[in-house]
Amino acid sequence: MTELLRSEWIKFRSVRGLVIGLLLIPILTAGLSVLTASGSQCGWGYQTPSGQQESGGCSAPTGPGGELVQDTFYFAHQPLTGDGSITVRMTGLASSALQPWAKSGIIIKANTVPGSAYAAMMVTGAHGVRMEWDYTQDTAGMPGGVSAATPRWLRLIRAGDTITGYDSADGTHWTKVGTATLAGLPATVQAGMFAATPSDQVTANSSAAIIATGTFDHVSIAGNGTGGTWAGTFVNSGPPNPPGQSGPGGFQQTSTGFTVNGQGDIAPDVPGNNDSTGTPISHALNGVFVGLIVVIVVGAIFITAEYRRGMIRTTFAATPARGKVLAAKAIVLGSLTFVAALIGCAIAIPLASHQLRNGGNVVDPLTALTWLRVVIGTAAVFAAIAVLALALGAIFRRGAAAVSTAIVLIVVPYFLAIALPNLPTVLSDWLMRITPTAAMAVQQTIPRYPQVPAPYGPSWGFFPLSPLAGFAVLCAWTGGALWLAAWLLDRRDA
Amino acid sequence: MLSAEWTKARTLSSTLWLLAGAIAVTIALSAGVVAATRCTSVGCGDPARVSLTGTYLGQAIVAVLAVLAISDEYSTGMIHLTFTAMPRRVPVLAAKAAVLTALVFAAGVIAVLGSMLAGRLMLPGNGFSDYPSLASGPMLRAAFGTVLYLALIALLSLGLATAVREAAVAIGCVLGLLFLFPLITAFIGGNATLQRHLDQISPMTAGLYIQATTGLRSLPLTPWQGLGVLALWAAGALLLGSLILHWRDA
Amino acid sequence: MEATIEVSGLHKQFGPVKALDGMTFTVQPGQVTGFVGPNGAGKSTTMRVILGLDRPDDGTAAIGGRAYHELKHPLRTVGSLLDAAALQPGRSARNHLRWLACSQKLPAKRVDEVIALAGLDSASRRRAGGYSLGMRQRLGLAAAMLGDPPVLMLDEPFNGLDPEGIYWIRTFLRDLAARGRTVLVSSHLMSELEDTADHLVVVGRGRVIADTSVATLITAASDGRVTLRTTARAEATAVLTHAGATVTTVGPDELIISHLSAERAVVLLTENAIGFSEISAHRASLEEAYMELTRESVEFRGEPS
Repeated sequence: MTELLRSEWIKFRSVRGLVIGLLLIPILTAGLSVLTASGSQCGWGYQTPSGQQESGGCSAPTGPGGELVQDTFYFAHQPLTGDGSITVRMTGLASSALQPWAKSGIIIKANTVPGSAYAAMMVTGAHGVRMEWDYTQDTAGMPGGVSAATPRWLRLIRAGDTITGYDSADGTHWTKVGTATLAGLPATVQAGMFAATPSDQVTANSSAAIIATGTFDHVSIAGNGTGGTWAGTFVNSGPPNPPGQSGPGGFQQTSTGFTVNGQGDIAPDVPGNNDSTGTPISHALNGVFVGLIVVIVVGAIFITAEYRRGMIRTTFAATPARGKVLAAKAIVLGSLTFVAALIGCAIAIPLASHQLRNGGNVVDPLTALTWLRVVIGTAAVFAAIAVLALALGAIFRRGAAAVSTAIVLIVVPYFLAIALPNLPTVLSDWLMRITPTAAMAVQQTIPRYPQVPAPYGPSWGFFPLSPLAGFAVLCAWTGGALWLAAWLLDRRDA
Repeated sequence: MLSAEWTKARTLSSTLWLLAGAIAVTIALSAGVVAATRCTSVGCGDPARVSLTGTYLGQAIVAVLAVLAISDEYSTGMIHLTFTAMPRRVPVLAAKAAVLTALVFAAGVIAVLGSMLAGRLMLPGNGFSDYPSLASGPMLRAAFGTVLYLALIALLSLGLATAVREAAVAIGCVLGLLFLFPLITAFIGGNATLQRHLDQISPMTAGLYIQATTGLRSLPLTPWQGLGVLALWAAGALLLGSLILHWRDA
Repeated sequence: MEATIEVSGLHKQFGPVKALDGMTFTVQPGQVTGFVGPNGAGKSTTMRVILGLDRPDDGTAAIGGRAYHELKHPLRTVGSLLDAAALQPGRSARNHLRWLACSQKLPAKRVDEVIALAGLDSASRRRAGGYSLGMRQRLGLAAAMLGDPPVLMLDEPFNGLDPEGIYWIRTFLRDLAARGRTVLVSSHLMSELEDTADHLVVVGRGRVIADTSVATLITAASDGRVTLRTTARAEATAVLTHAGATVTTVGPDELIISHLSAERAVVLLTENAIGFSEISAHRASLEEAYMELTRESVEFRGEPS
């Protein structure tokens, strides 16, 4: 077998066209990624009362878990040192356009800096009572909406680093909803009431931002440092307000209790969500599809050129074990394209991220392990697609048929899923599960959060299958094609 | 010369298979999408564009057909025979283009009719209550325009294939040019003006504006302007092909 | 190492066309065997079957008793040239030979040796797309000799060669056969095979028509005729006819004698003091012999205009 590998390697490197194609893979992948990243922009701007223009790029804080978060809400709070608790009864959550995840309730937060640790008990627009903490965690409490007739009692008890949430319908019988351990919680935290609502995800009218109002009574707060006046803060992780303008929201003390109104969300920053600012890493790899087309052409031509010239007979006379020849070609092709793609992605991500940041975009941070998975995974996808094109070339024996079939299987489904917004989700979902395109899931770095409304589509870096499952689908296609090709090679006359 | 190319084309069984395939695939995809499309709370989609979704796949097969029309001659060496019989090369390309256009036009009419019919049958039941009559102005324009669109795609592919010669590379270039332009544009965030300009020059995106019957004001180009952009691309490709044909050895 | 090529009972049908219809023959070492037949007789198909490229519907083909696919590094046992144009135009001759050599675990210097053998030194690093027909044939021959095989199979190697090239190949093949190798050469150009081949396998319509040595074939076709030039025509005719020969007059002083050997005729003429200027055994050309033999089997014949 080693002699076959060497001879296939000589065959590859001695044809200028194939070598140029191989070199184009990293060049085009990285080049186009950087180019499109340069075009992306994110920012804010306003005119000060004195007539000056202020502007800046987008930014988003990171939560305790390292992920980008949205942390915008109105906070009516008091300091709490050491252990303590806060209990309220809520009788209403109103909004001009009540969103399913509009939220209002009580929160204990390390401080008022966006991105700091917190635990909260809240009522929501359509998901009942919920306990959420540290942005990514979300547990359900009592179902059903809140109103004067169906009030909801909420309680948070802090003991050191642990905060436990309870809810009740009558204030007497309490049910534990969840326990949050916020490591490193400072001794003095802020505890109080909050209100927030994400913007209308459907009509996407962010200029007509809506406000949610929570109605509170029976407010009691216990612990060191509490019992004083309530302070009101607009916690804001989004674009800054022009000077002199206070953020949307506020709180009012009424005869019975309080109303707090606010705007925004306390949740992970999910690309595709209307209020999100982060850019998924897949947007730093836009050149991948150009690279894939080059890979497909190179893979197909590596075998169809032999058929076209009749050289396939020479090859099979030299090695009658035709399956081995196919395997040797696959190994040589796969290894070369893997390395080329690896270089391309490893260059593309940092360069494109740099360009994205230059444009004011916020690039979702990645752990080293995730970065490795994305780069190596994408390179492996390139290699598998190259071998798939090779197998199609052996099956069809004509370059045109192999290339067009491969493109229809790989690029077109992705295109349909992204570029046709009206495509029924069942169809685009099915496309991204069954076709080899499923393997693009290796680029997904952000999990789906049920508590964050977003389209969760491929254009935002979300795929129906997990990275491993998606890659397995591609491997199934490639493996099946190789098997069919080997069988046909054996059966057919050369 | 025209009759020579016509004879060559219609006696090649692969030509007929590919044309049949383009028709079948277009109607099948259109029917599938139409059957699954429902109106959402935001509104219904564009009835013409939804009915004609099959164009995306059909155009790929049309492109393959056009590429093979000239690449086959290069690969079999028949190009020498063609050029010894008819030494003036660019008119040969023109004759090929004419024959190709006629064939794709005929297939396109069938494919478009089938797709529109599928839409007419199924979309009103799926919530498209205001489904316009097929004989109304915009619908006719969308249908006829799509046939023209397919013919232009064929010409674009023919031009590129004449320039590139290798069938596999030519198909990679054509399908890449068509599908990757909008894919890459979609990923440029926060820059609506850039995206708009890119959409204006993208051959497939602009060309398919001809199918739009709703939301015309939000499009960067009018439908006919869009088709014109594709026509410019096709003309450019044919020009490039002619130049290379003229100057290089066969 | 000596090896024979044995082909037995091959049948192969391509759709409605019966390409091989019971093809059976054996090729022995130590001589050049010509494989001849009209177009469409099944020569190329037979060679492809022997090389394991086409699968026969029935029958076997073996080299030294083993099937082709059983050979490890088959190019070291059988060198073949089927289609000289089967080259990647962008690749140089050197690289073409190198990948072939690698696949058979042959050392790199072997490539240099066959390049020198085929006289391609100056052109070996140029891309093969620019080669003339003759150079491609030489490259094909170099590739066939790469493994120094005891068996050589060449399909129409004389095609497109100039007289110098034809002479070179003929000498080369005869030399190989003299050293004990098995050489099978297919051709339909009889004039070249005449001086190259020792043994002939004549095929038509997918089966063997004749499997014989060149000498026998020519003698059979020559009919043992003798040409005689003499001014004393009548006397010569009388003497020879008396000895039992059949004499035909073909010119003012030219006679063709049948059923009498040239030697015997000379003795008779000298005994009777009949002078003659020339006596020679009429040697049919291989072409004549071949045309006669395959008259029945020709599939494609042009209409005389």
